[in-house]
Amino acid sequence: MSFIKKKDMIAMLLAGGQGSRLGVLTKDVAKPAVPFGGKYRIIDFPLSNCINSDIDTIGVLTQYQPMELNAYIGNGQPWDLDRMYGGARILPPYVRGKEGEWYKGTANAIYQNIPFIEQYSPNYVIILSGDHVYKMNYRWMLDQHMKKDADCTIAVIEVPMEEASRFGVMNTNENLRITEFEEKPAIPKSNLASMGVYIFNWPTLKEYLIRDEEDPESSKDFGKNVIPAMLNDNKRLYAYKYLGYWKDVGTIESLWEANMDLLKEKVSLELYDPRWKIYARNGNLPPQYIGHQARMRESHVSEGCSIEGTVENSIIFPNVTIKKGAVVRHSVVMSSTTVEENAEVHYAIIAEGVTVGAKAEIGANPEKDVIPAISVVADRVNISCGTRIDAGTVVDRDL
Amino acid sequence: MSYMGLIYSYSDKENLRELTSARALAALSIGGKYRIIDFVLSNFVNSGIFEVSVIARTNYHSLIEHLGSGAEWDMSRKRGGLRVLTPFANKEATDSAHIYRGTIDALSNHLHSIKKSMADFVVLTGSRILYTMDYRSMIRAHQDTDADVTVAYTNHMNGTCRVPQGSPMIRMDEHKQIREVEIVDEEQEERECSWCIGVCVIRKTLLESLIADAMSHQRYDLYTDILQKLSPALKVYGYEYSGHLLEISTISTYMEANKAMLDPEFSAKVFQKTVYTKVKDSVPARYGPECYVENSMIADGCQIMGTVINSVVSRGVHIDKGAIVKDSIIMQDTEIMDHARVEHAILDKDVIIRDGREVIGHPSYPIVLPKMSIV
Repeated sequence: MSFIKKKDMIAMLLAGGQGSRLGVLTKDVAKPAVPFGGKYRIIDFPLSNCINSDIDTIGVLTQYQPMELNAYIGNGQPWDLDRMYGGARILPPYVRGKEGEWYKGTANAIYQNIPFIEQYSPNYVIILSGDHVYKMNYRWMLDQHMKKDADCTIAVIEVPMEEASRFGVMNTNENLRITEFEEKPAIPKSNLASMGVYIFNWPTLKEYLIRDEEDPESSKDFGKNVIPAMLNDNKRLYAYKYLGYWKDVGTIESLWEANMDLLKEKVSLELYDPRWKIYARNGNLPPQYIGHQARMRESHVSEGCSIEGTVENSIIFPNVTIKKGAVVRHSVVMSSTTVEENAEVHYAIIAEGVTVGAKAEIGANPEKDVIPAISVVADRVNISCGTRIDAGTVVDRDL
Repeated sequence: MSYMGLIYSYSDKENLRELTSARALAALSIGGKYRIIDFVLSNFVNSGIFEVSVIARTNYHSLIEHLGSGAEWDMSRKRGGLRVLTPFANKEATDSAHIYRGTIDALSNHLHSIKKSMADFVVLTGSRILYTMDYRSMIRAHQDTDADVTVAYTNHMNGTCRVPQGSPMIRMDEHKQIREVEIVDEEQEERECSWCIGVCVIRKTLLESLIADAMSHQRYDLYTDILQKLSPALKVYGYEYSGHLLEISTISTYMEANKAMLDPEFSAKVFQKTVYTKVKDSVPARYGPECYVENSMIADGCQIMGTVINSVVSRGVHIDKGAIVKDSIIMQDTEIMDHARVEHAILDKDVIIRDGREVIGHPSYPIVLPKMSIV
C-alpha cells in the first residue's frame, strides 16, 4: 500500500542558467544566485512568490555553478519550504545506467525529472525561471487557466514595441488564446512578451515532453519546440496578462537599473509588503551602525553595515563598511565589501568582499541626469589606494 | 561529557518599571533587533551546548513567542534542544513574584525535567547580566580544580568598579577557592572586589541532591542558602571573566547598556561571535531624502525620514519627516510622525507619537512609554 498524497500544483524552477551577459558577476555563481536589492538573491523572488501563492512543492533544477545556490537553498527553511511532504528539492542532472546526462534544454530538464513530478501526481505544473525580479500571484494565473480550460497558460507582459524583438512574442486573439508564438522575431506582430512562466496540465505536458525527447531534431526547449508543437496540434494555449513590475536582470545595466528602481519615490517593486514578503536566507548580523560623520540620502542599507561616510541613492548589502570621507553614489555595494577613507564610488556595482582602497575612485561623477556607463568590480578584488577606474570598466583582478 | 544549560528568564533584582511588567526580563528588547535571551542562548550555541532549559516565571507569553521551536538558535533538536519550563500552579503563592520562593525552589519545581536530562554537568545563568563566554573553558577549569561548584566572577564592570546591586561579592584564597560570599542589596562602588556575574557550573547529580537537601531545610536561594552557607563544606571555586558586561537591572542601566553598543569598539566585543535571534524577513532600512542620522544603531525594516541622534532603533520603526529622536531607545514597529520630538525616552513596541508631539525625559530619568501607547 502506498500513501499517495496529491498536490494540486507543483512548481519546477529552472535555476541552471549561467547569465553570461552578467560577466564577472556570474563567474562563480549561477544567475539565480546573483544578489539583488540589499539582502536578496534573484531566486528569492520566484521562491517567495511560490510560498505566497500557496505552492509548497518546488523542484529547483540546477546545473551551472550550483554550489552556492545549493547551499543557499539548503532545506528551504527561510522560505518556509522545509516540509515533511513536498517543500524545496534541489534537482541536479544525474547519471542513469551507464549514461550521465546534462540538462540539454529547458524541456529536457523537466523531462529528466518526470519521476519527481509523478510522485505528487499533480494536476498542474508551473514552470518558472530563476532569472527575473517580480512579485506575482501564481494562483490568479491558475484561476484563469482553469476558467479558460486551457492546456497551457503563458504569462505575458506588455513591452514597448521596439523592444519586443528581444523576447518570445505571443500573438493572441481577442480571448487571449495564443494563435502564434515567435521566439525573438525580427518584426514582432504584438508586444506581449513571454515572462518564462508557464502553467501546464501535467498529463498533456508529460505527453509532449516524451514526444519532444524522441525527436532528434528538437533542441529540447519550451519556447522553440514544446510550445510550437502544442500550437501545431491546436491545443488550447492562453496568454495571462501580468500588469506589475517585472524585470529581466540579465545585463549589468538592467541589474543596476532594477536596484535603482527600488529607490524611487514611487516604488514600482514594493518589497515592504507584510502580505507578500520576499524571504531570504539570513546572516545573523547586528543592526547597522551609522557613525558621527555619516550622511545618508535616499538609500537602502542592510544589517551589519558600518557607515561613517556618505551614501546617496545606493543599495548597500549586509556587512559593508564605508569609512570616513568615503562617498558612495548611485551604486550597488554587495556584502562584506569595505570602502576605505576618502574613496569615491559612482555609478558602479561592487561585488562581494571587495576592498576599495583609500582615495581610490571608481566610475564617473557626471552632471545631473546623465547616466554614465556602469563600472563593475568583481568578487574579492582589492583596489589599492588612489587607483582610478573609469566609468564602464569591469575590474576582475586586483589593481 | 555532556552539558546542559539552565537559564533564569527573570530576576528578582531588576526594577525596569513598565518594561518588564508585561514580559519576562529575558524577552526585553535590546540592541535594536535582539531580546536579552538571544545573548544568553547564543553563548550556549557558540559553546556547542544544544540542550538548554529556560525557566519562566510570569508573563512568559512574549518569551515563548520569541523562542518558538528554537530553530533560529539551531536548538530544534531531537537530542537535547530548547525547552521552556513554565511554573506549575501553586496554591501557596500569594502573588506572581512568589511563584518560586527562590532560585533553588524554581529548580525544584522543574526537578523532574532536570533529572530526565542525560547531561553530566549543568551551566546555570541569569538574564540580568550579559557577557560573552565560551562555557567550555569554564567547564575545563571546573574539572581541572576538581571543584564541586565553579562560579564566574569579575573584578570590574567594563573598567569601572561598580558592583551591581544584589550581585554576590566573593573572597577567595590563593587557589581561587571561595571562602566568603557577601550579598549587598544596594549598588556599590568597591575597589578590588570580585563579584559574581551569575554563572555557575555544577555536576548535575550534585545539583539534584543539593536541591533536595535545601528544600528539606526550607532554603530557597542558590547564592545565600547554598553557596554562602555551604562554602566551608563544598569546594566552591571562582572562574575569572574579564570581558565586557552589560547590566540590565534598572531603566538607567538598560539605557546605558544599549548606548554602550553605539561604541564601535565595545560593540565589536559584544558581537565578536554570532548572536542569533528570530528572523523577521524585514526589508533593508530605508533612508529618505531629508534624513539626518548620527551615532545610531538602526535595524532592518526601518524608514528614516527625520533625524536620529545617539539612539538605538529596532526593526520596523518609522521616523517621519522633520521628527527628531535623540538619546532614546525605540522598540519594534513604533511610529514617530512628522515633526514630533523624542528625547531621553524609551518607547516600547507599537507606540505612536503623533505629529508635532514632544516626549522629553531627562538623562537621569528617561521617560518610558509602554507598549501600544499613543501620544
